[in-house]
Amino acid sequence: MNLFNKPTVSSDEREIIDSIAQNGAERKKGEERLFNRYAYFIKEAVYKYSLPQEDAFDLYSDTIISAIEKIASGSFQGRSSLKTWLYSIFHNKYVDLLRKKTTNKNSINQTLSISDLLLEISDHSKSIVQKLVDKTDWEVLRERLVQVGENCRQMLLLWADGYGDKDIAALMEYKTPDVVKTTRLRCLEKLKQLYRKT
Amino acid sequence: MIEDMQNYLEYIDAYFQRTLDPAEIKEFEQKIAQDKEFADEVAFYLSAKQSLKAEADKEKKEWFKELLAQERPVIDINQYRSAKKAWIYRASAAAAVIIFVFLAWSIFFSKTASPHQMAESYIDENFKTLSVKMGEKDSLQEGLRLYNEGQYNSSLQQFESMVQRDTGNYLLNNYIGIVYPKLGNYDKALYYFRQFEDDTLYSNPSQFNQALTLLKRNLPGDKEKAKELLQQVVDRDLEGKEIAQKWLDKW
Repeated sequence: MNLFNKPTVSSDEREIIDSIAQNGAERKKGEERLFNRYAYFIKEAVYKYSLPQEDAFDLYSDTIISAIEKIASGSFQGRSSLKTWLYSIFHNKYVDLLRKKTTNKNSINQTLSISDLLLEISDHSKSIVQKLVDKTDWEVLRERLVQVGENCRQMLLLWADGYGDKDIAALMEYKTPDVVKTTRLRCLEKLKQLYRKT
Repeated sequence: MIEDMQNYLEYIDAYFQRTLDPAEIKEFEQKIAQDKEFADEVAFYLSAKQSLKAEADKEKKEWFKELLAQERPVIDINQYRSAKKAWIYRASAAAAVIIFVFLAWSIFFSKTASPHQMAESYIDENFKTLSVKMGEKDSLQEGLRLYNEGQYNSSLQQFESMVQRDTGNYLLNNYIGIVYPKLGNYDKALYYFRQFEDDTLYSNPSQFNQALTLLKRNLPGDKEKAKELLQQVVDRDLEGKEIAQKWLDKW
C-alpha cells in the first residue's frame, strides 16, 4: 500500500474473508481460496529466503492457518489489504523460524502451548492450571483421540478448530446445537476416561 | 451453580464459552485454587483442546498439500527455472512492444512533462481523499474522515495522538506523512515517511512517498534525491515500482 493507493480490501479478498468468517459450510471453500490465492508465497520463500521447499510449505501453511483463525474470530480488521496483512504474518513466522533454528527450541512444546487459552483465567488460578497442563502426556492424549471413534473425533476436531455448536450441527447434520453440545461433552468425557486409564 | 451442573466438563465448557456471569466466573476461579480435582479437570479440558487443535492443524496441512498438488505442480527448482526462462522470453517480447508504444507516446505527447509536474498530477489524481471504512467509527477512521473533509489540522492531531501510543505503526506514520504536505510542511512529511523506510513490509511505500514529497517540494537538490529514491524503488522492487520506472524513463 502506498499513500496514494488506499489500504482497502479488494472485492475478491472480501469474498474470501466473508466466507471464512461465516464459520459454516462456506468456511472450507474460503479456506481453499485463501490457500490457493497466495500459494506463490511458497516460491518466494524458496528463492528469497533460500528455504528448503518443505520448510517454505510449512511456513506458508502455518501462515494460512493463523490467518484463518484470526479471520474466523473477527480479529482481521481490514486496515490493509489481505495480501499485505498475510505477508506480514508470513514474514513474522519466517523470523520465528530463524530464531527457533538458532536457539534450537523444541517445536512440539511450541505447538502445544496453551497460553492463548489461559489468557482467560486470572493470574493465580492460571499458574495452578499451567503446572497441571505441563504434566500432560501429549503423545498419549493424541493416541487416545483415535480411540474415541470417528464421529467423536470429527466433532472434537471441529470444536478445537473454532467451529461453534451451531456450525457443527449444520456440518455434521445434527438436529440442534444443544444436541451437539451434549454429544461433544460426552465425547470429551470419553477421551478423558481413555486418557486417565493409562 | 456447580451443583446444577451434571459434571465439571459442562461447567468448564460454560466458562470458556463465556456464558457464565461475573459472580460465577469468580466462583470458578476460586474453585481452581481450592479444589485440586477441579483444577485437574480444567487442565485436562485445556490440554485436550490444544492437542485437538494441533491435530486439526495437521489435517489441514495435509489438505493444503493436496490442494497444492492439484492447483500447481510441486515446486521443482529446475522446472521452475525452465518455466521462468520461457516466461522471460514471453515477457521480453511483450515488454519490447510495450516499450515501443510507451516511447512513441512519450516522444509525441509527454516530452514536456517535468518530474515536478508528474508528481503534481499524480498527487492530484490519487491523493484527494483517503479510503474510510463505512460503518466503522474508530480513531483512525475519524482521522481519515477529517482529512477527506479538508480539516487537515484536526486530522493531523488525531493521527499524532494515536502515533504517540503506537510509535511503530507504519500506517499512522504514513497518514501523517500524507497530511503534512497539505499544510505546506514537507520536512515533517519526509520525517514521518522515513520512520518506516527500513521496515520489512511486503509493500513498503516509504521510499516512493519520500520521492513524491521531494518532487512536490522542488527545492534545489530535491529532484536529484527523488531520482535516487525512485531508482531504489525500482532496484529493490518496492511499492510504486511501475510508476517509478515510468518516471525514470521520462526523466
